[in-house]
Amino acid sequence: MSSPGANGIGKTLRITFSLRNTCRVNNILYALKQIPLIGRILPESLYQEAGLKILANVISVIWEIFAALVGKGLYFLILLGAAVLYPSPEKGPLFLYLMVVCTVIGGFVNTYMFNPTKDKYYALILLRMNARSYTLVNYGYAIAKLLAAYLLFGLLTGGLVHLPWWQRVLLPFFAAGVKLFAAAYMLRDYEKTGQASNENKVGALYWTALFVGLAAAFGLPALGIFLPETVSLIFMACCVAAGALSIVKILGFASYREMYQELLRDWMDQMDKSGASSGVSKTAMAARTQSEKAISMDAGITSSRKGFEYLNELFIKRHQRILWKASEKIAFVCLILVLAALLALWLYPAARPVTNELTLQFLPYFVFILYAINRGTGFTQALFINCDNSLLTYSFYKKPGQILKLFRIRLREIIKINLLPAFVIGAGLAVLLFASGGTDNPVNYAVLVVSVLCMSVFFSVHYLMIYYLLQPYTAGAEMKSGTYRIVLMLTYVVCYLMMQVQMPTLIFGLMTIVFCAAYSVIACVLVYRLAPKTFKLRL
Amino acid sequence: MNFIIDHLSKSFETKKVLRDISFTFESGKIYGLLGRNGAGKTTLFNCLNKDMKADGGSFYLEENGIRRNVEPDDIGYVLSTPTVPEFLTGREFLKFFLDIHGDEIENPQPLDAYFDFMSIEPEDRDKLMKTYSHGMKNKMQMLINVIARPNILLLDEPLTSLDVVMAEEMKELLRSLKTDRITIFSTHLLDLAVDLCDEIVLLSHGELESVDKSNLDDQEFKEKIIAALKEESL
Repeated sequence: MSSPGANGIGKTLRITFSLRNTCRVNNILYALKQIPLIGRILPESLYQEAGLKILANVISVIWEIFAALVGKGLYFLILLGAAVLYPSPEKGPLFLYLMVVCTVIGGFVNTYMFNPTKDKYYALILLRMNARSYTLVNYGYAIAKLLAAYLLFGLLTGGLVHLPWWQRVLLPFFAAGVKLFAAAYMLRDYEKTGQASNENKVGALYWTALFVGLAAAFGLPALGIFLPETVSLIFMACCVAAGALSIVKILGFASYREMYQELLRDWMDQMDKSGASSGVSKTAMAARTQSEKAISMDAGITSSRKGFEYLNELFIKRHQRILWKASEKIAFVCLILVLAALLALWLYPAARPVTNELTLQFLPYFVFILYAINRGTGFTQALFINCDNSLLTYSFYKKPGQILKLFRIRLREIIKINLLPAFVIGAGLAVLLFASGGTDNPVNYAVLVVSVLCMSVFFSVHYLMIYYLLQPYTAGAEMKSGTYRIVLMLTYVVCYLMMQVQMPTLIFGLMTIVFCAAYSVIACVLVYRLAPKTFKLRL
Repeated sequence: MNFIIDHLSKSFETKKVLRDISFTFESGKIYGLLGRNGAGKTTLFNCLNKDMKADGGSFYLEENGIRRNVEPDDIGYVLSTPTVPEFLTGREFLKFFLDIHGDEIENPQPLDAYFDFMSIEPEDRDKLMKTYSHGMKNKMQMLINVIARPNILLLDEPLTSLDVVMAEEMKELLRSLKTDRITIFSTHLLDLAVDLCDEIVLLSHGELESVDKSNLDDQEFKEKIIAALKEESL
């Protein structure tokens, strides 16, 4: 079989680039369309707009260059940093040693050829391009990018560890040699076993080798052990030679199509499945599978209630794992932490004043902690995917009275679920306050417990309210509401900023109690007013 | 009882999907809604089921000359992809539904009677619906939608993915249910439409028009429908 001619190479390259570019440009345009306000201004025909396309193309090209350079740049910086930080004075040989071990690991971990990407799926399976010329041209391009990046960073960083220029120039050829050899080796392996090695699906042996390799690279030099310069250089030269020989194997390999059809099997299956559910994204598919898996198959679960209480009780019981069990686990961990802190206070009385001050000053910190342990988003996602997604298509379920009845039940449930760990935290703080020397004002104890409970209620109300008011999911479980994302982000930012606040517990606690109570009342009023209109399927 | 749609319209940005829909549906009949891909059949159903807000126009029921709004209970909507709450068993879903409707249901029957009526096997009744096949989910969805005896039954390609036996059963069921209600049935299967429906309605250019069978035989009628659908793309 002959190699693709110059004409063929040019054509394959052109098609590959335009394919990859089109995907990227469309992804960029799609992302733009998802931004609230901006998305609304953009016309439906934006995929045809020449101006926008040029902009997206520019971003795409910059991304290509950036992606080619940034990974390698970081890689060189890490190795350089390690060489500088280790105590050995022989920086040059140490750098070479790190380069040798890490590049060999990288050669097998990141082969380009054995990574079944979406691009390859599009080109080889959907567009049925010639597998051999597609692979050779793209692989050649990947190797060329590698050479360029290694040369650039080799020249830049090599000087800092005093490598002579010829060693710096040797680096890219060494790296390419390793990659080529690894690819040829894996191709030969495929010929022998008929099994294509997928670099994303690896076994225990791989992880052990990776661990040993990294330990050798970064562990041994700490003990002052690494290869002498000459050995590294001879090894590198051998790799260059092996790489050159490997080119013959790579060019001569005859079964690229068969190999990729096996490697890309997962993509084909996935596309089949998502095609069946009207082209939903990978994340939405994952969310759906995850939520469906959360349903308990335990045949013993029943309920003696009626109507919506019946529906709710079965939902809660069948989602134990992500609701009560998760909350119990968190509560248990909190309890252990409180007990450990009590033990510490008892053993080290010196820690008491600090702890005492912490409980009296750092209540705002706990806003973030309660934010982090809240089950609200998991609850609403499961509610939608496993329950509302289907029931909202039935008209009886959409009647305003029924929506609100179920909202009340759900609010009660999610508050209960979140209260358990909150109670452990609140009571734990009060106990720690007492054990660390107590306080002059006993109101502090009550404020600690009540304000933490209020924070917990606040998050429960908050998440359920935004779910009912914004209902962010489409039928395919894709999160489509930009506003919902922004609200989630703001929630995070505000909670994060709370960690910076220092305020006496009494004041902050009382403020929290008032705020949470007011917020909950307002939220419920809003839901009662608006949810009958807003709580519906996104079409 | 008549179901009247009056100048209903719906656009997506600049694309006018429903231009000016006006039509009177009479109770006791099954209407076959035909249209090319993308003609707007599902959009029409979504507007009628109030899942989507129409841009203009209205629809209402008329009984003995008195107009009234269409309430949620008036409509049953069976989607082409069946949707049932996966965390419930068939029996639990049915019980929940009957609980909610309490005394509204005329002569309620034991749960198993409903399953028998729908030919859902005893061993499937207590399985979680997430393990149900497509056809089984479809039957459950249909069952829930018919128990409430809605005045208007909207069916979006309900038979397409059923096996031949199930599709026959479902056809019989629809025939048996048609008295006293309006059934609107969208499909791409011309034979099915001609076989099952009392009237054929085309959705083309964003408007609804009835195709008159007059004294044509089935074959001629089909040719007339195809000709009308082709005309649309000109």
